[in-house]
Amino acid sequence: MDANLIDARVEEILSTHGKGANKLVPILLAAQDAFGYLPGNVIQHVGEFLAISLGQIYSVASFYKRFQLTPVGKRRVTVCRGTACHIRGAPQIVNEIEQTIGIKEGETSADLEYTLETVACIGCCALAPCLKVNEAVHGAMTPRKAGVLFTDVSGNKNA
Amino acid sequence: MSKVTINIDGKEVQAESGQTVLDTALANGIYIPHLCHHPELKPRGVCRLCLMEMADGELITACRMPVIAGMVVKTKTKKVDKAIRPTVELLIAYHHDTCRGCPAIGKCELQTVMSHLKIDRKRVRRLRPPPAKKPLDKMNSSFDYDPNRCVLCGVCINTCEDIHGVSLLYYVGRGHETKVAFYGDEKKCESCLECLARCPVGGLMLKKPVEVRH
Repeated sequence: MDANLIDARVEEILSTHGKGANKLVPILLAAQDAFGYLPGNVIQHVGEFLAISLGQIYSVASFYKRFQLTPVGKRRVTVCRGTACHIRGAPQIVNEIEQTIGIKEGETSADLEYTLETVACIGCCALAPCLKVNEAVHGAMTPRKAGVLFTDVSGNKNA
Repeated sequence: MSKVTINIDGKEVQAESGQTVLDTALANGIYIPHLCHHPELKPRGVCRLCLMEMADGELITACRMPVIAGMVVKTKTKKVDKAIRPTVELLIAYHHDTCRGCPAIGKCELQTVMSHLKIDRKRVRRLRPPPAKKPLDKMNSSFDYDPNRCVLCGVCINTCEDIHGVSLLYYVGRGHETKVAFYGDEKKCESCLECLARCPVGGLMLKKPVEVRH
């Protein structure tokens, strides 16, 4: 997305939310959804609009896991490492995915195709171990199924 | 200003109305553990070390409790100890294990709290996480920040906000990873060094002079 487009989008978000320090999180959420992450110039823009320091925004943005400060891949792979998933083999699944896609946990692949991250709980422990690719939940995973899932996805875009 | 009399640990003390219990106690030579308190800052009650027991058994932070005529508080009960001891032990467990080389030796509030509570170092050693030292932060041209010494009391943040209207320092991250940092604003810092002066521990320190002494 080029700079002008980003600026236009930010203006739109800011105008729908209005001023006030309590609007910070809603604005950041909207920006996160619009760009997939929080670019530096967007944070600056929001800071000027709400008249709060960059440090304050950064403090909020780094506290919530929902906000990203670096670009995320097109497919955001979220592996659950909650208690139920951990017991049923989440570490092995993370390991398998790391080997299949070739990036480590918390990283984004250079072609911006994948981001791999782990979270404390997705909220469907009955499907443990589970993972999410963007908003699609895949339950009852095994290292093998996870491996197949990502070879398919990268081999055939419709899978 | 009218005078009121309150009872702290069985001792009758005089206080100005409007004063907090913590200020009254400190003025009368009764020590109550505290880290996030600074006489020139508004009390925030975040370190939870100045907890005291009220007559009805409730635990309340002394730094935020104004004196009320005839109140009776206790600061050394079992209940208070049970509440604050784990806090202090965990703070120390995540702190450098030695005081050697620390700029705050002698004026460190954490040391004072430790000796006041007679913290058992052996017990704390069991709580200590694997020794992964967090790297020193080079904050700006005049001071450094050591996350292994910081107790995250927020005094530096509030000081910056008080003096300059808006704080340049903020908490960053969360959980074990929380630290205090600038975000692209380090150039705006005028190095008034008031945050260093008020730091209760040795979290913020002056940069060492370039010439090395032997």
